[in-house]
Amino acid sequence: MNIHINGKAYPLPHENHITVAAALGLYFIEPQQSTFAVALNGDFVGKDDYPHTLVKNGDSVDVLQPIQGG
Amino acid sequence: MSLTIYGKNLDSRLLIGSALYPSPEIMKQALLASGSQVITLSLKRQNPNEKSGQQIWQFLQQIVEQVNGYLLPNTAGCKTAKEAVTLAKMSREIFKTNWIKLEVIGDDYNLQPDPIELLNAAEQLIKDGFKVLPYCTDDLVLCQRLYDLGCEVIMPWASPIGTGKGLMNPYNLETIRLRLPQATLILDAGIGKPSDACLAMEMGYDAVLLNSAVALADNPVLMAKAFAQALQAGEQGYVAGIMAQRQTAHPSTPTLDTPFWHQPQ
Repeated sequence: MNIHINGKAYPLPHENHITVAAALGLYFIEPQQSTFAVALNGDFVGKDDYPHTLVKNGDSVDVLQPIQGG
Repeated sequence: MSLTIYGKNLDSRLLIGSALYPSPEIMKQALLASGSQVITLSLKRQNPNEKSGQQIWQFLQQIVEQVNGYLLPNTAGCKTAKEAVTLAKMSREIFKTNWIKLEVIGDDYNLQPDPIELLNAAEQLIKDGFKVLPYCTDDLVLCQRLYDLGCEVIMPWASPIGTGKGLMNPYNLETIRLRLPQATLILDAGIGKPSDACLAMEMGYDAVLLNSAVALADNPVLMAKAFAQALQAGEQGYVAGIMAQRQTAHPSTPTLDTPFWHQPQ
């Protein structure tokens, strides 16, 4: 399957689905030390739900961080 | 007199953005010089391995703690209620606040808020426990609808974001103040110079939210001070009671016993 994290494609030929937590593992070096929040296909996923929310073929994960704003 | 936003009392009537400053150090100096206790910020897609988001947040947190203030995350860049609701929930998790500056843009040219999506998003967020500060146009009925939904704070624009054009339609803004006397009204966006902020306060607005006017000034720190003083002057002018305008001239100097050569023939 293929998923996207922040617009970047991640081919996972041997998987049918993975958890959000596992998807973040593809993307992060040290997720536990970072400030971020996650959306899956445009819907918010709370931190407590990372281990049991599934990312499937074609899904998009967005990882957002603080920036300056007006 | 203090400003109250969703039960929180604030000494300053200026809410200020954290974007566009020449450097983080100038931003810090300007934010402190402004006296503001509410600082806006946002979220964007970014790989947390880059650490910059973490650093920005920690930097702003330190400033907010120093001024005993609050962070106000926004939903900048959202074009639908769904996007705004998602971003608000992400912000709440990160920043640990249920305050949200709700922005839902309907037109890319002038970044004009979409009133339909804005109402829809505000309704969903209020049901979910958020304290919504909606950025909206200066449409009286829209402001009324937002207030009726439960938005204690309404933030009509002065003019489009980042234009510095000041108060485009003072009549609309005054009418909103007149018709929504219980709402906390914050003039948001388009402020260019201190006199714009002063004018809003003279109208009876409760506060002003701005960013570009300070960040893009030649001297942001000095401009932040100027805005703080302008807000104070405008507020005091409003509280003092501004004289009614008159159609014709009235002499300030008493006319009784004026010298004979000034007497009418």
